[in-house]
Amino acid sequence: MVEFDLVAPRSADEAFAALRAAAPDGAAVLAGGTDLLPDVDEGRQRPRVVVSLRHLPWRTLDWAGPSLTIGSTLPLRALEQDPDLVRRFPGLAEAIRDVGSVALRHRATLGGNVVRAAPTSDLVPVLLALDAEVEIVGPRGTRRLPVDRFVRASRRVDLGPEELVRAVWFPEARPSAYRWQRVRPANDISQVAVAAACSPADRRWRIAVGGVAPRPVRIPSAAEALGAGAPTAAAVARAARAAADAVAFPTDRRASADYRRHLVATLVERVVDAVVRAEGFPR
Amino acid sequence: MTGGPIALRVNGVERRASDVPASERLLDTLRWRFDLKGTKEGCRTGGCGACTVLVDGESTLSCLTLTHEVDGRAVATIEAGGESPTMERVRAAFVAEGALQCGYCTPGFVVALTGLLEERGRAASRDEMLEALAGNLCRCTGYAAIGRAVERLRAEAP
Repeated sequence: MVEFDLVAPRSADEAFAALRAAAPDGAAVLAGGTDLLPDVDEGRQRPRVVVSLRHLPWRTLDWAGPSLTIGSTLPLRALEQDPDLVRRFPGLAEAIRDVGSVALRHRATLGGNVVRAAPTSDLVPVLLALDAEVEIVGPRGTRRLPVDRFVRASRRVDLGPEELVRAVWFPEARPSAYRWQRVRPANDISQVAVAAACSPADRRWRIAVGGVAPRPVRIPSAAEALGAGAPTAAAVARAARAAADAVAFPTDRRASADYRRHLVATLVERVVDAVVRAEGFPR
Repeated sequence: MTGGPIALRVNGVERRASDVPASERLLDTLRWRFDLKGTKEGCRTGGCGACTVLVDGESTLSCLTLTHEVDGRAVATIEAGGESPTMERVRAAFVAEGALQCGYCTPGFVVALTGLLEERGRAASRDEMLEALAGNLCRCTGYAAIGRAVERLRAEAP
């Protein structure tokens, strides 16, 4: 067993102090632990001190008009079981249900998923399609960053050594969907995944693709090809081609680049179809 | 802290340990300190479900849970027996359908399904029950009989 110390601060200030004391590279932050602990066991990460967020009051779900703020340490299972969230953010709910298993989601968190920034994250693509922002707290105050800028690369985010993600903010409820291809539906990693959303405010689309190295990306050319509101079949076909052409797909043990390029076009068609049929789609 | 005391309510009984390392997993605490060997170690990376226990009623992968993180909480394992009528019902359905082969994965399946039934009660649909088991692997591939146990539980829902 890999040994480390564990601290569970009672406030954000105590957490910053604990992170400072373990600086620069000695600390790891524990939310659900479902991604961190396997990394520690397998030696990919060797923290001297693990700072647990379990006592911080961040297990929250706050609605304000069309927007939603999800506290970073609320378990994913609580999110997928919230009827309002399922109705108003269908793509987010779908993506959450595609993470690991029910038992894993009883502990795994949205904050942990975005901070750990696995290139294969099932949640980052839908956060991109929903224009989500992370709320970051640190000893020098609070700042906000779009997820698109927060996630820099595989396993790399724009977060200082003493900073923590307190919440993820969504500007508006959007008809949205998430579709993927995997070898096994549960407890597996997507070969390719596509998230799409259409804003009721400006009727514009957002498309993001996961399963691409080094991080999930938006595909503006595919979104533009769809136009505003309900797209024609020809527009969907153009968007599918745009997505296949826009990304440099990797070849790895899960799938070849060619197969991924083939999949992404099909998934774009399916995900757009699901969004058009979602409640509140702007006609 | 490098370690310290913990107290858990395990299957209705107060259990304490005085010097539990900070990095110790709930799986190891249950098996080696409390001698509850029904909870199995499989992959130890959250991928197989063999180590599933309930923490405050919620199915939880004990291999990915630090014992100190659940200090003070209620844990139920496959040994809960009569402490959990729901688990008894699930166990009986598995027995009636012969829903096990080598048996190594069985505690994880029974506990995961118990958690879902306690969470959702009569509202639990067949799909929800199967989804609750989707993270559990049976290397004997005895899934058909496990599926029948799910059907039996649906048919006899109280």
